[in-house]
Amino acid sequence: MSDKNLFLFNILRGLAAILLALAVAAVFIFISSDEPLTALKYLLLGPVVSFKSTGNVFNTTSFLTILAAMIPTIFSGLAVCVMFSANQFNLGGEGAIMLGGFVGALLGIYLKMNTGLHQVVCVLGGALAGGLIMLIPAILKVKLGASEMVTSLMMNYVVMFVILHFLNFVFADRSKGATQTFPFQETAKIPEIIANGTKLTWGFVVALIFVVIIALFMYRTKWGYAIRMIGINQSFAQYSGMQVGTVIILSQVIGGMLSGMGGSIEVLGRFGTFLWRELPGYGWLGITIAILAKNNPIFVPFAAFFIAYLNKGCNLMATYSDVPSEMIDIIQAAIFLFFAAEQFLAKYRQRIVVHNTQRDLAVQEAAASQGGSNS
Amino acid sequence: MEQEVIVEQKDFVEQEDFVIQMRGISKVYPNGIAANKDVDFILRRGEIHAIMGENGAGKSTLMKILFGLEQPTSGEILINGEPVAITSPSKAISLGIGMVHQHFMLVPSLTVAENIVLGMAPTTKSRVLVDFKKAVQIAEENAARYNLRIDPNAKVMDIPVGMKQKVEILKALVRGAKILILDEPTAVLTTQETSELFKELIALKDQGFTIVFISHKLKEIKQITDRLTIMRGGRSMGVYNTADISESEISRLMVGRDVVLKVVKGKSQPTDTVLKVRDLEYTNRWNKKMLDKLSFSVRKGEILGIAGVEGNGQRELVEMLFNLNVPDAGTVTVCGESIIKLSQDKIRNRGVSLVPEDRMTYGIADIASIEENVISDRFSNKRFNKGPLFNMREIHHESNNLIVDYRILAKSAKQQVKMLSGGNIQKVVVARELSSQPTLLIADQPTRGIDVGATEFIRNQIVDLSRGGTAVLLVSADLNEVIELSDSLIVMYGGKIVAYFEDSSQLDDVTMGEYMLGLKHQTEEEIAKVCYE
Repeated sequence: MSDKNLFLFNILRGLAAILLALAVAAVFIFISSDEPLTALKYLLLGPVVSFKSTGNVFNTTSFLTILAAMIPTIFSGLAVCVMFSANQFNLGGEGAIMLGGFVGALLGIYLKMNTGLHQVVCVLGGALAGGLIMLIPAILKVKLGASEMVTSLMMNYVVMFVILHFLNFVFADRSKGATQTFPFQETAKIPEIIANGTKLTWGFVVALIFVVIIALFMYRTKWGYAIRMIGINQSFAQYSGMQVGTVIILSQVIGGMLSGMGGSIEVLGRFGTFLWRELPGYGWLGITIAILAKNNPIFVPFAAFFIAYLNKGCNLMATYSDVPSEMIDIIQAAIFLFFAAEQFLAKYRQRIVVHNTQRDLAVQEAAASQGGSNS
Repeated sequence: MEQEVIVEQKDFVEQEDFVIQMRGISKVYPNGIAANKDVDFILRRGEIHAIMGENGAGKSTLMKILFGLEQPTSGEILINGEPVAITSPSKAISLGIGMVHQHFMLVPSLTVAENIVLGMAPTTKSRVLVDFKKAVQIAEENAARYNLRIDPNAKVMDIPVGMKQKVEILKALVRGAKILILDEPTAVLTTQETSELFKELIALKDQGFTIVFISHKLKEIKQITDRLTIMRGGRSMGVYNTADISESEISRLMVGRDVVLKVVKGKSQPTDTVLKVRDLEYTNRWNKKMLDKLSFSVRKGEILGIAGVEGNGQRELVEMLFNLNVPDAGTVTVCGESIIKLSQDKIRNRGVSLVPEDRMTYGIADIASIEENVISDRFSNKRFNKGPLFNMREIHHESNNLIVDYRILAKSAKQQVKMLSGGNIQKVVVARELSSQPTLLIADQPTRGIDVGATEFIRNQIVDLSRGGTAVLLVSADLNEVIELSDSLIVMYGGKIVAYFEDSSQLDDVTMGEYMLGLKHQTEEEIAKVCYE
């Protein structure tokens, strides 16, 4: 019972953090906007409601685009969950996503295969590329003790410029005005679940399947167990006889593979050709999502939905009112602050603990006085 | 009006006697452990007052509250009759309260004088640079005034434990402490160092200082204190004049039953040599020789104890035996095979098991469940895996069995380990390490800081294991434990073995103290017997 109270408290604390963050955003909106109520309306309701003179109706198309926006961020969120669970602050998701997208795109352009198989090969190629690139920070960490945070962060830019080099000088379609590759073959494109232009592709289903796979991996396999134990206490893991170095590398390679997979699915589902000229930003969103989900894969889709919803709301707010879309950064920063603050509402938590303990003690003492035994 | 003034004065006179009053103090830690329950503690000016109780009785918590390290959940503190809120150690110091922790809070690479003036160092005229001469002078002046002999120019890492303690006491006095809290000051001292400390404490008392003395050693308390407060299970069991209460009565109040921690064990029947350590050498990064040509053996079916004051190489030795550190020279073999530089899983596969000294660092993953903690050495075993997935049923089965067999008090196997009490956390570690049926068990301080019940249980488990044929190496700073539990015993001093006793049952702490302090040592031939060659 008492543990249930604490569990409930943790969820309520998360919600409180989100509400407070939105309140902070509201304050800024009221300060900066001439039409704060309109802005708030679009921010909070805009993503799922069409405001019409005849009345407000649920906007299915908009809702489906939100789901579509979750596809890459679910993957990057899962990737960060795995890496952060091993206490590896690898920020290379950005680079791995871009590389995965690029490799997936090239396979989609130059391979000739039957549809069905072609997409699978492209996505696996992207995953492989993402996994391989993450070997760099992982091995540097294990062999030389170099901080994976620094190396992976720097690696993002190396990856980006290397891709841009090949995009500009090797794979560019010279017939187009903008720098882009040749179009993907139709066999490689990932189709929409319902062809309605929302870009909600079968990638969404794959993403949800991977949520289940990664949850099982983390909580029901020996590798996931080792990853989590190393994340909690590396000395303990080593002393227990776990292969700490190998598992640290494994966690980052899996993170890279998930990122690369997300990148290739996004590219092949959303575009007809490879267009990314800079880091796509999904890696950073993945970090926000993993923190909201407390590194638990099961919560990742919910966190990804929340972030996608907010993003959409901010864009609508920027379109229909005078608040700039950068507001999303303020909201995210506020959520980070409240979520990451261990002491946030700690007094109430302590009160629950004290209450539970006193009740337990009373029960124990009653039992002791009845039974006459000292526990 | 006049009457009122008189009343106030009378109050003042009455309260002046009490330098500190703590009333109705309760403390519940964030993990739900109620360490103090409605405790009253009153300190008279100029007395030496003992707080007695077993480990986990709440002594340290009460003193941490007084020193501002913890905040009480409820209750009030009065100093000289004035209610105060002691929100931090610096507040406590400004109120004249100083604390000497059980584990010293000194900077090893700095000199004694630098440690004493740390944070309040005198500066040269430039007001920027530290005036080291002045610091030494301050240290010497105070050492002379309080009659605490120290060497102000020595580095803290080079001085003996006894002197470190004096440095800690001086640190508090230099900061203006009138009330000194000593948390188990004798735990790390030899018998000889202890009596020296007592002389110094009595001298301080004569100069008007008030001293709180946390301990669970009956003899010392009788020897030095004026009054004592006994704690049990987080509650105060009352305040007594030391002269009026007998040792057996104190003991009864402390533990609530007449505990005789005698371990019943038959004579050992040692057979083949399991662990063989030869000429082990290790010099640490500060160029101090921690292990100096160490050689000994442990045989199947016996418990070999290692006694010694902490810091004489025991920790380094254990690290070498489990590849947490690499020796400069020497060999370590288990059943004839070298284990140096083997990874921990290979060492474990050879049947070596370790109950680590620091259970929170090595023994457990604190926010993981009991179940996840007890399978950490066997999770990749075929038994617990079904294809790529865990066999959850087998894992539940294993952890529930261990919880029952090792009497771990928990709500369920899913409970976070850090929510358990110290004794139960240690039982989790012991359950894992002992249930793997090791050929060699290394038990490093297996009962430190845990309650009597758990201590007794763990000791009996270790004895059972050894009588079942496991070779046990027991390292313990608790003299009683090492004498009671071991079949034979070696004493380490300065990284060397200075004594070997084939039969430890007849030893007493005075003899042991002399060896542990390095006053005596046996001949090479006597010591070499521990190699059984």
